[in-house]
Amino acid sequence: MRAILIFLVLIVTLTACEKTVVLDFDQTDMKLVIEGWVTDAPGQQYVKVSRTTGFYTTGKTPRVTDATVEVRDDMGNTHMFIHNPNNRPDSAGYYLPATPFVGQTGHTYSLTVVVDGQTYEAKDKLNPTVSIDRLETRVDEDEREDPKDPGRFYEVLIFAREPQETRDYYLFKFYRNGELAFDSESDVYFADDELIGEEIDGISGAAYYEVNDVARIESYSLSREAFIFYRDLQKVLNNDGGMFNPPAADPRSNLSNGALGFFVTGAVVSAEITVTE
Amino acid sequence: MIRFFLFVATLMGVSLAARSQDKVTLNGYIRDGANGEELIGVSVYIPQLKAGTVTNAYGFYALTVPKGTYEVQFSYMGYVTQTVSIELNSNVSRNTELAGDARMMDEVVVTEKRLDENVVAVQMSKNSLNMDQIKKLPALFGEVDIIKNIQMLPGVISAGEGTSSFFVRGGGADQNLILIDEAPIYDPSHLGGLVSVFNADVVKDSELYKGGIPARFGGRLSSILEVRTRDGNMKNFSASGGIGTLASRLVIEGPIKKDKSSFLLSGRTSNIGLYLKAADSDNGVNFYDLNGKVNWRANNKDRFFVSGYLGRDKITFSGGDASFGWGNATGTFRWNHLFNERLFSNVTVIASQFDYSLSITDPAQGFQWKSNLQELAVKADLQYSLNMNNDISFGYHVTGRRFSPAEIKPTSSGSMFKETMFDKMYALDHSLYLSNEQRVTDKLTLEYGVRLSIFQNVGKADVVIYEDPKNVVDINRIDTLHYDAWENIKTYVNLEPRLGIRYSVGENQSVKLSYNRMVQNTHLISGGTVPLPFNTWSPSSYYLKPQLADQIAAGYFRNFNNNMYEVAVETYYKDIRNVTDFADNAETLLNKDVALEYRQGKSWSYGAEFMINKKEGRLTGMLSYTWSKTMREIEGVNKGREFAAGYDRRNVMSASAAYDLNKKWTLGASFTYSTGRPFTIPAAKYEFDSYHPDMVTERNGYRLPAFHHLDLSATLNPNRNANRRWKGQWVFSIYNVYSRQNAFAVYTRTRQDDDGNVLGDGTEKEARMIYLFPILPFVTYNFKF
Repeated sequence: MRAILIFLVLIVTLTACEKTVVLDFDQTDMKLVIEGWVTDAPGQQYVKVSRTTGFYTTGKTPRVTDATVEVRDDMGNTHMFIHNPNNRPDSAGYYLPATPFVGQTGHTYSLTVVVDGQTYEAKDKLNPTVSIDRLETRVDEDEREDPKDPGRFYEVLIFAREPQETRDYYLFKFYRNGELAFDSESDVYFADDELIGEEIDGISGAAYYEVNDVARIESYSLSREAFIFYRDLQKVLNNDGGMFNPPAADPRSNLSNGALGFFVTGAVVSAEITVTE
Repeated sequence: MIRFFLFVATLMGVSLAARSQDKVTLNGYIRDGANGEELIGVSVYIPQLKAGTVTNAYGFYALTVPKGTYEVQFSYMGYVTQTVSIELNSNVSRNTELAGDARMMDEVVVTEKRLDENVVAVQMSKNSLNMDQIKKLPALFGEVDIIKNIQMLPGVISAGEGTSSFFVRGGGADQNLILIDEAPIYDPSHLGGLVSVFNADVVKDSELYKGGIPARFGGRLSSILEVRTRDGNMKNFSASGGIGTLASRLVIEGPIKKDKSSFLLSGRTSNIGLYLKAADSDNGVNFYDLNGKVNWRANNKDRFFVSGYLGRDKITFSGGDASFGWGNATGTFRWNHLFNERLFSNVTVIASQFDYSLSITDPAQGFQWKSNLQELAVKADLQYSLNMNNDISFGYHVTGRRFSPAEIKPTSSGSMFKETMFDKMYALDHSLYLSNEQRVTDKLTLEYGVRLSIFQNVGKADVVIYEDPKNVVDINRIDTLHYDAWENIKTYVNLEPRLGIRYSVGENQSVKLSYNRMVQNTHLISGGTVPLPFNTWSPSSYYLKPQLADQIAAGYFRNFNNNMYEVAVETYYKDIRNVTDFADNAETLLNKDVALEYRQGKSWSYGAEFMINKKEGRLTGMLSYTWSKTMREIEGVNKGREFAAGYDRRNVMSASAAYDLNKKWTLGASFTYSTGRPFTIPAAKYEFDSYHPDMVTERNGYRLPAFHHLDLSATLNPNRNANRRWKGQWVFSIYNVYSRQNAFAVYTRTRQDDDGNVLGDGTEKEARMIYLFPILPFVTYNFKF
């Protein structure tokens, strides 16, 4: 229902003005943040452990480099994760599997992270997904008249068939030439198939592209808990200050012991298209 | 319960039969001499007996006294008091016409006017809006608006700019029952609150009950706003209207048969749409209000009224690609009947509909969403003047409601949305009430009564039974119960006692005390401060219990200088059980399982209100100050910790004044100050994926900056020549004279420039404040002929 959120913003901007203000905060305790992914594609499994930081602090948030991280599946296998095994300078806080593995659909994975003697656990089930039939591109006339970035007024249309017998949830990621692309950087692209029909006949994906751009779309299946997490996250990121919507609350996490974040598992499919004239 | 009613009925029957031979009744209607409008709340007083009454909502009064000859005073604000000697040896029916008090420029007229209703009446915590007084004040946005004026009363807090919502004594915007000619209005805002749906040109009377609510009212916890429209000039045709920056209005009224029947028709439409068209904008904005009324005095005993209201708002974007609209429609049929000289009855049949819709045109993602609430009600209200010391009211109301939360249709064949209809909900709401206003001694008057509320949630419905009605993540539906049409699903019975006590402590001063219990069975659970039409109304049901409020209020009332100044000090304490809210992170839109997101808990509020009101003279005005605190504690919200309610405002002050400079000019000013709204801000932030979300701690733990603005107006009446038929008037007003940027909302985002380009490395965040109206001038031309 992004349309509704956009609409609400429009009502306010019809007559509204804005300015930046500086807020005065009380000190608050820092919390641990865990972000983990297990998919059915090779090389995509990771866990990132970090902490919260002050609202006005700039730069990356503090990383935890000495955590113990492991993922178990429901078939009796345990996978240990090692902190930054390739010693990359921008990968502090990232833990990769010591031995590469891929997740399998239909199975449940459990994460255990130990930091400073505190244990944090989570589990998630890897659900199957459907493939994207094809992609097409199209010029968005309104954007062409007044593009935010010159030349970028092509949109990508998705064609797929959504299974109606099961209740499915999805997360989408859009890439332009290998980098994540958004309409607005606080957008989270997720879907619940309850209101969606079987035929997905050309819904436009996010972002605009220009000629010769390579547009790539990834679709991940989500468990219900993960879907609720992303939906809660979207609310926090786009909160209007409690005016029309309830005030935000921290997203519901599957992690125990008060950690923020989520341990997500999902099957991934992707499709690519190069924009031509 | 039944026995209690029978007992009282027998008592009345006994006293009817054994009626003392020396009691007679004086009754009649009191009207405006110029146009025949019945006047509401006129004081009819016999000084010799120290007994009196006031005219009811239909201008009718009945006073039962011992036989004799008495001086009777008829007095009313804005009219010349009449004192008449009446011989009461048998029942007398006397209709009276009062002349308007044209004492604009004169010195204050000193009379023994009995305009001390605020001291004398038992009713406390009630404010009546004087339409003449309001019309002299700055009309915000160029339109005289009764809701804007209500927001300046003590104990009433405005929800801020952008909305017509108001909060009364620790209650949310959904806890106010707004009635127009007895029909409920579910959303009184036009265009996000620029004006309300009430066209001041047709309003005769408006009363706001904040506490000590009489037994004849029920259905909401915190207040009743009763608006009555004029009936139409019984003597002459007349038209009036105005053209202003915001809207254009026209009222046409006149007799159908002089002094027997009349009609009134009015329309108001927005002008903003024209500016947008002229500016070649793709967006459109539009509202209109239509009011119509016909009334007929059939004979001395019967009167009939048919009235209706139709209003709508429509906002369109991008040439129609997206549009949003809502509207209220009401129809009322009323029959006043006098059974005998002491028993007045009114039977009303009401139909009301509130609907809204949202539509988006897009080949792949287009949809239309419609929702509405319809109700049909029959009310019978009777008033019986038992004797000099007792006035009894009783009645029965029954309402049937149908709630249709969502009907979704795709707007194109290729749209990914499928046609969905959420289940409708039905309710039958009965109430029975009985109350008596009793003058116990010269100094002590009591008003006591009870209202019995029987609320039924009925079929046709399929009620889903969840294993855990609070578990949203793991929804486990264990059963679905099927109910046929009108079959009872859940019945809630509640008794609402009401008590008001007035004790006169001296000349022109009194102390009042009141207690009332209110029950609310129609819930608007809106998480935000501004209730959007999106937020659906729902009946009490399997999952939603009735909300109950208990309020105690105490006050001291005093008039000075022969009733020129009214002073009132009141304090209250209100306790609410089952106040509704949404759980943390609730998904409120288009959610079939939305019942799982409801949470009910407690709320408590207390405060002190102070008001001084000068009603006469060249300078008139009001100053009010309210200190109040409202908290909530609900399991599942803010992790079960107590938090400030979204409408908690510690200090609120308003001042308004109108000054008649000379025969042509009247100046007006109004000032409002309010502590800022509570809001939730992040204490910290973190990284997740490519995002930088805020970490939320305390709900409503911080305050926005204080809200205040000063508005000025000047009204010019160019020809005060009573002989000219056409009377024109210019009104110049300025909203927010010192152009304060009043915070509407504060939200956070990644630090970026005005074009949306991110500044810095993308990790920096900033807080942004949205504000609405800077200094805005308005001009309106009003006419009457």
